Amino acid sequence: MSYAAVTALVVLAVGLSTLAPCLLAPVTGLRRSPGATLLLWQSASLAAVAAALLAAPVAAWGAGSRHPALLALAVLVSGGMALRLLVSGHRVGTGLRRLRSHHRDLVDLIAAPRDRPAIGLPAGRGLRVLDHPSPTAYCLPGHRGRIVLSAGTLDRLGPEELTAVLAHERAHLAARHDLVLELFSVLHHAVPARVRCEAALSEVHLLVEALADRRALHVTGPVPLARALVTLHEAAHPDATLGAGTTTARTRARLELIAAADAPRRWQSVLMVTSSLVVGLTPWLIAVAGL
Amino acid sequence: MPLRFSGLGDLERAVMDTLWAHGPGLTVREVHERLSDRDLAYTTVMTVLDRLAKKDLTTREREGRAWRYSPAHSREELTAASMRSGLQSLDSTDRRQAMLHFLGDAEPGEIADLKAALAEVERRHD
Repeated sequence: MSYAAVTALVVLAVGLSTLAPCLLAPVTGLRRSPGATLLLWQSASLAAVAAALLAAPVAAWGAGSRHPALLALAVLVSGGMALRLLVSGHRVGTGLRRLRSHHRDLVDLIAAPRDRPAIGLPAGRGLRVLDHPSPTAYCLPGHRGRIVLSAGTLDRLGPEELTAVLAHERAHLAARHDLVLELFSVLHHAVPARVRCEAALSEVHLLVEALADRRALHVTGPVPLARALVTLHEAAHPDATLGAGTTTARTRARLELIAAADAPRRWQSVLMVTSSLVVGLTPWLIAVAGL
Repeated sequence: MPLRFSGLGDLERAVMDTLWAHGPGLTVREVHERLSDRDLAYTTVMTVLDRLAKKDLTTREREGRAWRYSPAHSREELTAASMRSGLQSLDSTDRRQAMLHFLGDAEPGEIADLKAALAEVERRHD
């Protein structure tokens, strides 16, 4: 039994769930590798959960079988945290699904499917066009995914820009970015409100947008995508649209990433290796603790 | 033309369209008559209207032995409500924050800032 290893496990649990998100969120340089950075975020989250759930039982077990009360307490602590996670998962999951299913019903009710290609609009089963002059473009993820555009979007965007927007939304749906965000949302809400890091949640949102932008870049190149972003942002009507990433700061950040799209991407392998190390940290500490 | 309807969503849309066009205050029989070219069973129309009422998309009042159905919202209201994204709306706090950001952000100076960022993309890639 190594007390140092047990202490390290506790520090890891607390550090990864409260401190790490706040330290990682401001490192904007990582946005240039959104996929690898999201992997690091996911690894850190996984490691935080594992360390948090196992720290108390490992410590109590290490103290020996002379203290059955200690072991019971440890199981209670871990059980409480597991329960908190499950409750958060349930709340976020059911809330999101109810919201989206309601939203999808609504969209299906007022916008006819566009199975046949219209002018400048490729065919797509899940495509819906709202009859509204303000521009909007978003997707409704899930079992029957939808991409929703408005008449205002079709009016304002040229064919190439429209292709970029559709490629972006299709990337969200195909890669199930909603599930990635749902995981972070569950963990975010499982942590006590006082130590939650709002910047972290906002950063992973931006990373997901940057990832979808990368897909769109492959399809149309940078200029149509950037033009579409600015047009959608500029003409957006305040009480009508809350499309993907409509805050100016977020759109600005995405434009900067698009401008730097063909710059060499560094840190990719460093991020990958760090991710694996972070995941391996908990099992390693448990092994060192002498179990 | 029964094949024009591939699912319940299409039926609901046709029934709502009828209520918007010929309502408010239609009975099941009146809706059924308006949709006569669709070859639907009377009970199907009744079921759809009942579902729409449960989803709070229609309101109904009893008149004698029949219910009279009206749209709960105009098509324009529902369209405006659907203009907001689903992916971002993680919970009400997040949504409210995003909305506040958004309202605070819509300033000419910031649009100019975005235009400058766009010019940079065009300079580097055109």
